[in-house]
Amino acid sequence: MRPLTIRHFPLNLNFEAAATLDDPSFNYQNLARNHRLLIMGKEETPQITRRATRHSSANVSKNETETKASDQPLPPTLNDLFLGEKEKPISLDNVVSSFPGRRVQIIEVMRILGPVNCPMVPLFVYGDSSTGKTSITNQIFRHLNRPFVYSSCLTCYSPRILFESVLNQLLFHRKNAANGYSSAKRCEKPSDFVNLLREALVSVTSSLQGNSDKSSSKKLCRRACGNMIYLIFDNLELVREWDKSSTILPFLFNLHDILKMPEVGLIFISNTSPDTYYTSMGYLEPATVYFPDYTEDDLRQILLLKQENKKLYSSFLDVVLKSFFRITRRVDELSTSFSQLFRKYCEPLNDLGVVPNEEMKRRLFSTLQPHIAPAMNEIFKVSSQTSTEGGATKHKSSSKKSSLEVSDQLDLHMSTSAKYLLISAFLASRNPATLDASLFDSTGGSDNRKRKRKPSEKSLDLKESAEQELMMKGPGTFPLERLLAIFQCITSVAEGSFEEEEQENDGIGVQTGDDSLMSDVLLQLSSLCNANFIVKGGSCPLEGSTRYRSTVSEDMVLKVARSVKFPLSKYLYRR
Amino acid sequence: MGRDNFAEKALIFLRTRLCDPSFIFSSFSNSPDSNYSKLKFIVSSSVIEGCNNSILLLGPRGSGKVAVLELVIRDLLLEYPDMITVEIARQLCVENQLLFSKMASFDDNSQFMLAMLRECGLAHKTIIFILDEFDLFAQGKQRLLYSLLDAMQSVSSQAVVIGISCRLDADQLLEKRVRSRFSHRKLLFLPSINEEWHRLLEHILLLPTESTLPPNYVTEFNEKIQVSLNRRNILADVKFKEIITTCTNIDSTVNALLKFLFRAVSNMDLGTGFLSLENFKTALSTMQRQPKLECIKDCSILELYILVCMRRMEIKEQNSYNFNSIMKANYYWFFRLYLHVYEYKSVHDSCQTSDYYAQNVCLRAFEHLLRRELISFADNRGNNQSIEFRPVKLLVSSHELHQALTSTRSSPAILIKLLAGELFSQFGLIYD
Repeated sequence: MRPLTIRHFPLNLNFEAAATLDDPSFNYQNLARNHRLLIMGKEETPQITRRATRHSSANVSKNETETKASDQPLPPTLNDLFLGEKEKPISLDNVVSSFPGRRVQIIEVMRILGPVNCPMVPLFVYGDSSTGKTSITNQIFRHLNRPFVYSSCLTCYSPRILFESVLNQLLFHRKNAANGYSSAKRCEKPSDFVNLLREALVSVTSSLQGNSDKSSSKKLCRRACGNMIYLIFDNLELVREWDKSSTILPFLFNLHDILKMPEVGLIFISNTSPDTYYTSMGYLEPATVYFPDYTEDDLRQILLLKQENKKLYSSFLDVVLKSFFRITRRVDELSTSFSQLFRKYCEPLNDLGVVPNEEMKRRLFSTLQPHIAPAMNEIFKVSSQTSTEGGATKHKSSSKKSSLEVSDQLDLHMSTSAKYLLISAFLASRNPATLDASLFDSTGGSDNRKRKRKPSEKSLDLKESAEQELMMKGPGTFPLERLLAIFQCITSVAEGSFEEEEQENDGIGVQTGDDSLMSDVLLQLSSLCNANFIVKGGSCPLEGSTRYRSTVSEDMVLKVARSVKFPLSKYLYRR
Repeated sequence: MGRDNFAEKALIFLRTRLCDPSFIFSSFSNSPDSNYSKLKFIVSSSVIEGCNNSILLLGPRGSGKVAVLELVIRDLLLEYPDMITVEIARQLCVENQLLFSKMASFDDNSQFMLAMLRECGLAHKTIIFILDEFDLFAQGKQRLLYSLLDAMQSVSSQAVVIGISCRLDADQLLEKRVRSRFSHRKLLFLPSINEEWHRLLEHILLLPTESTLPPNYVTEFNEKIQVSLNRRNILADVKFKEIITTCTNIDSTVNALLKFLFRAVSNMDLGTGFLSLENFKTALSTMQRQPKLECIKDCSILELYILVCMRRMEIKEQNSYNFNSIMKANYYWFFRLYLHVYEYKSVHDSCQTSDYYAQNVCLRAFEHLLRRELISFADNRGNNQSIEFRPVKLLVSSHELHQALTSTRSSPAILIKLLAGELFSQFGLIYD
């Protein structure tokens, strides 16, 4: 099970605020199963509070097999909708100081939320990822101590799950083994949702009002929390990719008007600006608050927040921040690469608590300097070992480009035949099909003769446009037969020269002309397809067979070719 | 303490008002030629005379169609308490098949509806059907609309069908058989004129004297507002008018104004307890956002480079390009950037590291831009192609790009020049 991680690193607070990873390739199903709603309510007795704390602060989501009967969480109550009760409420100053460079935005959001018991227009918070939208909203609600329902469109990946998640939280329903992990209400249609939501909201707000009446006696709320309830929809930009986005989006934006309940506040959090949401339906624009990217000074303060030796780290930042800032302004990316670089920086030091002087700074810089440029090049790469202090700040977009990471460990994991298959797929993608005969001809003479011909003016032009076309089109597609033919050719070449290697490998598929082994090759091919090294393209309209395309980069294929000592450049057609 | 308290109360009061559409539109109810009066006349006549009627309310989003209608119904319910049954068939979207009961089939439903219409007709009760997002009901076969209107004609019933849509051509969407059964009454909700704005502002912003707030505070508060609204020759007045006009120029619907006022009111300083011109100014600045511009300003220098290079490709009339061709065509500029970012003193230092990695970083920046939606893929085909081969296009204009570049301090001068195309002549000077 993949641990959920905390997105906004400067504050290591308890948001498991499920699924704060923006990685689109993340397994949604898995996430949704792990999805744990933001339940951090205050419990009545201190003993139970402890239990609830442990339960809710566990990064791994609720796992019923581990939870013994004695450890059953209490059924959720109204208090679960509050964030500011169980943990110490934080003052506004505290919120502001824990988010450097966000003062204006915090005040703006606070203003729109307004004082206790006052209605609001829908709020739309937007800004690039890792600018602190979700965490600031959470902290503000913790500060205000008002009830809210948080649901992220990342974990709730379809309208039904989104609706049911909101309703579950409002109806204090928790999925567990006893109810077969079912939701409180089955709800798929927006209209049902409106009706159910209205019911749920009415009951919640009336109990809230009841609470605030009794609050003085029961000391339930330290401050008056009012009878407003807020619905927060995070990662709204993902809704645009849903099947029914053309109806769901206007519906969500108009929800406030449809409900006609002044006690309900709606907050939308999105990565993209409101102008990317225009649809043919149209809707009323909510009040917007923009979270801009951090400036260099803000970044410095944020990165310094968690450091023990601030002087040392600040001298480190003097060296690196400026140039890294030119490449990216995102906190998460910077912090990942800095955490490793800083360890390099500290290597010559015995005592990490030391306050560096000028001379030492210079010395440290000179040792660090050779590492800076490579680190910059790898700013978006994820190293295999996890950093210790940065926590598991999992990098986004890491799994997108799998070929980059895999290239290093490739030698360990691929069989020789798979490597040859990869090479032949690459060749089939890059070389024009018409040249196959001449390239793979055993004599190879015709190829040399062709090269000698002097290129005319016109052919040069043609070449240029062909090059242009290649760059635009990317690797070409090829049918399975061609791949297998090339595979046979290059393995037959290899057979002659690398017999000893083949014996070592006990003939893993590198035998030609043997039909019984063909099925192994096909199996290898399908595993390469699964690994996304070769993708299945659309089928050819004439032949009707599936066509393939290789996605690996040239560097990687060169590496592979080197590992099997295959003379790749001899077979690669250069224009 | 007292002032704070009043101010907060006043703030809550004003915000409640702004969020309550029925209050806002009640100001329109007393003029005779308003939509409110017309709608009320139509509905009440069908109630009294016991006839069928159908009407379309058309107007842009946020012009208060639903609010006015609800006001009418509320008032009519007061007037004829036992004569109207309000059957609101408001289903937001395409669920027209499932209006009444989920289990029963369409036929059963229409049977049920017919029976109900007859009953109500006998009991002299008027049914009002409200079809919100009327244009969506006109999608598909329009069976629902047809059977509804047909039922109204055939049975001696009293029903009013009110369609609400923001499409002005909603009645053109209807099929012939439906249109023939629909009486062609349309009420247009048009933007108000200046004087109405003025009256509306007074209606919203002035505190009532008979409230729980102390009267001297209320009078002081109202006076402050009146000053900015009414008194001539005061700078504040002219400026305030300007602000309101800019606001209504952007979007002239009532709801847009309400949103603006809401921002202004929530900016109210609780210390002084009064609305000031500053509050309105800041509210206006939050309304006039240019998201794309902000987005460009937030880009890192590398991302700006890519944007400018894409722009250059467009200037050169290259109609389709992808990441690879951008990198290749602008190799020189990325090389310059490379030296700049990595702070290499000479070319020789840089030659040691491979170019491939630099391209990798660029690709990631490129993905950032895609996520920010400053650029997008030109087509949806080729989903299994890797990103660097898919053709892309810019989503920002060169004007925006230029504006953003010149207004941010951190953007290098070389980029602005590059965008302006001044450096074309130096293209050959790679190694100087």
